[in-house]
Amino acid sequence: MAKIKTINIFGIRGVKDLLTLDLNKKSVLVYGDNGTGKSSLTDAIEWFYTDAVQHLVSEETGSTRGRGALRNLFIHDSDNGYVEIEYADSKLSSKKTINNSLQSSHSNTSNELSSLLANSQSENLILRYSELVKFIIAKKKEKLDRLQDIIGFSQVAELRSLLQKNGNSIARNIKSANYDNQKNVQQSTILENLGRNTHTDEQLFAGVNELIKPLKLGVEIKSRQDINKVLKQIQAKEDTVLLEQINFFTRVWEALSEVEGNVDSIQKSYEEYHRSFIALQKDPEKIKKLQILKLLKEGHAVLKNDVVQDDYCPLCQLEKSKVELLKELNERIEDLEQLAEEKAKLDEQGEELKGFVKPNVGALDNLLKEKLFRKEGYEKLNDQVEEIKKSVNCFTDELKKELIESLAKPEDIEIAKKEMAELAKQAQETAKALTESQSSNIKFQIFTKLDRAARAYVEYRKIEKEQDVLTKQQITFELLYEDFIKRQEEALNVFLTTFSEDINDYYTTMNPNEKVEDVKLVPLKKNGELVGITIEYSFFDETKTPPIAYLSESHINCLGLSFFLASVKAFNKENKFFILDDVISSFDRSHRARFAKLLTDKFADYQVILLTHEHEFFELVSSDVKSKGWSITNFKWSKDSGTGVEKGMLDIKERINKKFESRNTDGLGNDIRVYTEKVMKEVAFNIEAPVAFRYNEINEKRMAPELLDAVHSRISKKGNVLNQIANIPRVKGMPMFIGNTTSHDNDFNESIEDLEVMWEDIKATIHTFYCTECKKFISVKYFDNVSNKIRCGCGKLAHDWKK
Amino acid sequence: MSDEIKSGKEVIDEFFAEIPNVEGVDQKTVDILVELYGQGKLTDRNIQNALEELKQAELNPRKKQGNGED
Repeated sequence: MAKIKTINIFGIRGVKDLLTLDLNKKSVLVYGDNGTGKSSLTDAIEWFYTDAVQHLVSEETGSTRGRGALRNLFIHDSDNGYVEIEYADSKLSSKKTINNSLQSSHSNTSNELSSLLANSQSENLILRYSELVKFIIAKKKEKLDRLQDIIGFSQVAELRSLLQKNGNSIARNIKSANYDNQKNVQQSTILENLGRNTHTDEQLFAGVNELIKPLKLGVEIKSRQDINKVLKQIQAKEDTVLLEQINFFTRVWEALSEVEGNVDSIQKSYEEYHRSFIALQKDPEKIKKLQILKLLKEGHAVLKNDVVQDDYCPLCQLEKSKVELLKELNERIEDLEQLAEEKAKLDEQGEELKGFVKPNVGALDNLLKEKLFRKEGYEKLNDQVEEIKKSVNCFTDELKKELIESLAKPEDIEIAKKEMAELAKQAQETAKALTESQSSNIKFQIFTKLDRAARAYVEYRKIEKEQDVLTKQQITFELLYEDFIKRQEEALNVFLTTFSEDINDYYTTMNPNEKVEDVKLVPLKKNGELVGITIEYSFFDETKTPPIAYLSESHINCLGLSFFLASVKAFNKENKFFILDDVISSFDRSHRARFAKLLTDKFADYQVILLTHEHEFFELVSSDVKSKGWSITNFKWSKDSGTGVEKGMLDIKERINKKFESRNTDGLGNDIRVYTEKVMKEVAFNIEAPVAFRYNEINEKRMAPELLDAVHSRISKKGNVLNQIANIPRVKGMPMFIGNTTSHDNDFNESIEDLEVMWEDIKATIHTFYCTECKKFISVKYFDNVSNKIRCGCGKLAHDWKK
Repeated sequence: MSDEIKSGKEVIDEFFAEIPNVEGVDQKTVDILVELYGQGKLTDRNIQNALEELKQAELNPRKKQGNGED
């Protein structure tokens, strides 16, 4: 599994100059104040792996997927920003660049890297504070979705939904097609013309042989080809016009009979829709709540997608914790879920009604395309069919109505069923009369009857076959769906049980002796369907759920973190590192220490990149993690270089020298002050200069004047010569150390010449304490008892020192 | 984590390997689904199109017996 040796970043996010992080496969604790660009590191790695930075995507529209904000604004247009990761396995190492047109590419095009990147998409590599509690406070359905997403079960959920959706869709089609009605219409035509119902070829042939007997053709019908031959044989060209009319009226009869046969189903479906509509409409509170639900869901999406990043309510603009807001929204949305289900049911009923109406309107539309409707003498019939179509279509108009509108009562919708039946009967009689108009022409009558019966039989068989095919498909989807949900639930349960054990382990490690035990993820079902996941735990042996109702923010964060870490162990198969970006912000002191211990104990084999801006946490855990082999790094930010790694005194000294070279006084006085402070801390430490007691974090914030005083006081007692050479009062009297404690506020207007003089004096003072040969400070630990001298590591720098 | 845990892909792969044996299913419908999954084309639209094609093929297999034969 991949571990990182070195990360080089240039021109990405806050990093302007090259930032190098030498990790050598080790975990690292990175400290940096807010604004020093720690997250540039996280963003760079996310982009390297996913070609996007998710939290930037929501801020940026278009297809750049956050890349627009990825390139550092101050690098030259011709320079490419890049992230270079050298892995322990050099075959994976690559430099990913982004040019000024936001096009990106990897230097390594090997299959090994492609495979690593592709497989990493389902891994959990980064946890930011903003994402920490998302799972814990999410709605039950969201928890299920999120979990399925993380464990690669999204595809499973998609397939499940695909099977269900297609099964339902086929069932709806079967229902709305009303195949039995269609078959009955065709059987009526067959009965009318053959004088018997005909369901098989044998029945058809027997009926046809009986029908054609008077023609004495001397043929016996044994196949449908034989029927076609006979039809061809007995058809007379002069009968075409009459035949066209008979077929037309037969079509009118059949189409209207078919629609008439569906009217009851349409009306029943409308009655159900109407009932549900009125039930929702009756309660004005429900309508109001539905509108509020829309608003709440919109607000939830705004917060969840980080459109609002700070802790305030985007609606009322009042200051409020984003986590709290999301918690409240989730609770209110879940309260209204029952109502949302009622609305969803209504929408579903509307869809079903549409499914009934649409094919019938379609059938009437097709009928109206018949040529004879355009001929003289057929206008009235055309208008009557149009009227019938309009009456069927009125259901569609009702479906467009909103809940606040008035929906027509079922009894008030006049569907022209009676007119349909009458018109169908008239058409049937007309077709019959036209056939019989040629009563003396037996051949014509037999031809007409045979033609109509044969067509109706073919249509009947087609309908029967279609019904059969769709029914088989529907049954198949139902069986597959049943089989699949069993497999999904089984796999999910195995996962949840094992996963819960890890979450519980991590949570209780961070929260021992708190009587919160047996933390687990529990699937929720409704009507046999998996609808969500909740988190359960026992508190003093009593089962509690959900956690947000009982746990503090710090405990919820612990749960979120436990969930992420369990995901890392369960699913990261390619990468043996992960990044925790400022995740401990709201942890209390005891949780912080245990959190560090959890990482060093249970994730010792992982490479952890732990970023924090909390100095207290950094102080608390740095010695502990260092003893476990972690690296410790400080991030800094400067106007010139952007985000970089703080190299300590050497880094500042290099900056000071560069500024002198370029005669740049901007911030130079401050740099000299900071450098002096750092050196004087070392000097004070090595000569054991006493300073007033201060607590941890404040202890680090000692300013140069205090340190200079302490060193001066110490050497004036211990070493007269050293005291004279060091000449601390000269340094202490410099303008940058007088008055305010920070150079930013100091009203000293320095010239480069003044600063050069001061810098030379400070260096002279420092050189009395620091050996350039062994690069060590004089220290009491090198005190020479014989000669009573305090000296450096190599002994070349030594001063008298009283015992 | 135990070895019993299956990834989503494993669950789906197993399902498609075993569905031809599910009792009562229509083999032609199953074949369509297995084929689409194998090609990485198992989408709602592709399923509907393939089912419609199957229906048409069943309704008009080969017009061996002349007009209107099924």
